[in-house]
Amino acid sequence: MEQPTRPLTVLLVDDEPRFREILAKRLRHRGVSVEEAPGGEEALESMRREAKEVVVLDVKMPGLDGIETLRRLKTAHPECEVILLTGHASPQDGVEGIKAGAFDYLSKPVEFEHLLRKITQARNKIERLRAERREAEFREQIRRQMAVAERLAALGTLASGVAHEINNPLAVIQDSAGWLQQILEKPETADMPRREDFAQALARIQRAVGRARTITRQLLQAVHNPAGDSLETVHLREVSLPAIAEEALALVRREAADRGLALALEASDPPPLAWTDPALLLQVILNLLNNALQATDSGGRVTLRLGVKGEHAVLAVEDTGRGIPPEHLNRIFEPFFTTKEVGRGTGMGLYVSWAIMNRLQGGITVESREGRGATFTLTLPRKPPPTA
Amino acid sequence: MTAASPAVLVVDDEVDFGEVLTLRLREAGENALYARSGRDCLDLLQRQEVEVVILDVRMPDMDGIDTLQAIKQAHPWVEVILLTGHGTIETAVRGVKLGAYDLLIKPADFQELREKLNQARRRRQERIDRPGDTGAIPDPS
Repeated sequence: MEQPTRPLTVLLVDDEPRFREILAKRLRHRGVSVEEAPGGEEALESMRREAKEVVVLDVKMPGLDGIETLRRLKTAHPECEVILLTGHASPQDGVEGIKAGAFDYLSKPVEFEHLLRKITQARNKIERLRAERREAEFREQIRRQMAVAERLAALGTLASGVAHEINNPLAVIQDSAGWLQQILEKPETADMPRREDFAQALARIQRAVGRARTITRQLLQAVHNPAGDSLETVHLREVSLPAIAEEALALVRREAADRGLALALEASDPPPLAWTDPALLLQVILNLLNNALQATDSGGRVTLRLGVKGEHAVLAVEDTGRGIPPEHLNRIFEPFFTTKEVGRGTGMGLYVSWAIMNRLQGGITVESREGRGATFTLTLPRKPPPTA
Repeated sequence: MTAASPAVLVVDDEVDFGEVLTLRLREAGENALYARSGRDCLDLLQRQEVEVVILDVRMPDMDGIDTLQAIKQAHPWVEVILLTGHGTIETAVRGVKLGAYDLLIKPADFQELREKLNQARRRRQERIDRPGDTGAIPDPS
C-alpha cells in the first residue's frame, strides 16, 4: 500500500535542455522528485525503468512527437497522468491531446505555480483512482467471501439432512451384511457351495458402508446449526499457539521426512495466544499440514507461521508445492470438492476445517498461485468476547 | 448364553432395521426380541423379563425419549441404550439425564453395540446388588 507522504514523482520531457533544467531545478526545490528526458523515446525508456506518476510532456519535439508519446505512455502505463506543454499552442493539439488521455494542456510560457498546481491535481486524481480501485477490490473480496459462506452454509444444511437420512438405510445394509457374515461363520455353513464368493461380497459391502459412514459422520460433525446439530461441544480456553503448533508438527514429522520435505515453525515474539478450543484447532492444523505435505514434491518446504494481527491471532500453513488452480480456489471449501482420485479423499477435509473455524468464531482463507505453493491462513480471537 | 437368558429388546419403527438387528443379536447368542413401537415395547415389558432395551430415538407417535421415561418409571431396573441416526449432543445429554445408559449413532459398529450391551448389563447388576437402591433415575447433578 502506498504512503501518501512519499515524494511526488515527475518525468519532465522537453527537447530544450535549458527550459527543462530550470523547471526541474525549481520542482526539486519544492520537494518533487524529477527525472528528465530530452525526447519521446527517452521518456518511454525512463518510464520502463521506473514508472513516474506525472509526466510533463512537450508536444513539439523532433523524433517521436508529444501526442504519439502520450498514446504510447497511456498504453504502457495507464496509471500515469500526462500534462501537455507547448510553445505553439493550437486548439487542435489540445483537443487531440485530451482525447488521447492527457490530464491537461498548458501553453508556454507557463507560470510555474500554475504548473505545480496542475501536477498536484494530476497526482490527486491518481490517488483518488487508486483509492477507488482498492475499495472496489475490497468490496468484491467481501462479496466473494460472503457468497462462499452463504453457499457453504446452504450446502452444509442440505448435506447434513442427507447424512441423517442416509444413516438409517446404511444401518440396514450394514447389519444385514453383518448378519449374513455371522451365519457364514457358523459350522452349519462350512460346506455351503461358493461360500467364499458370499464372504467376499459381504466384506465389500461392509467396506463400502464404512466409507459412507465416514462421510456422514464428518458431515454431521462439520455442521453446527442453532438447533445444536453437532456431536461435539466447543471448549474454549486460552491456548498458546506455539505449543499447539509443536504438537501438530510432531504428528506429521515422520510423514514429512518420508516425503523428503522440510518442516519449519516461525512464531512472533511474544508467543501468540488464542481464545479457542485446542482439540478442534489441532484438527484443523493437522488437516492443513497433511494437505500441504501431499501437495508438495520432495525437496519442498512446509512452514507454520504464527503471529498477531489486531484483535486476532493468525496461524498460516504455507507450502512450496504445486499450488491450486485459480478455478478451484472458490470451491475448495465446499463439501465433497476433491481433486484426489475416487476413494482417496472424501472432499470433506477443508469443509470440516471451515466449519470448525466458524464455530471457533474465526476464519480460514487461502492464497495460491499454480506452481508457486499455497498459504492457508487461520484467524482466531485472542481474547474471550466481552460478556454481554 | 442360552435362549432362556433374560432378553434384550430392540425397539425401532423401521422394521427392516429392527428385525435384522434382532436377528444379528440372536445369531450372536442373545435372547433378542423386537418391538416396532414404544407402546409395543411397554406391552412386552409387562409380560417379559428384559434386561436391556435398545431404543430408537426418532419414532412416530411415542418417540424414544417418551418411551425411555415410561420404561424408567414402570421398570426402573431395565437399562436403555439409545440408538439413533440423528446424533445430537442435546439428545445424548437429555437421554443420559433421563437414565439411559448410553447413546450410539446408526450405523453403529456391532461389536461396539455388544460391548455397550454387556456394560449396561453389569451396571444393572451392580444397581440390583447395591442395598437400598430403588432403581430410581440417578440424579444428573
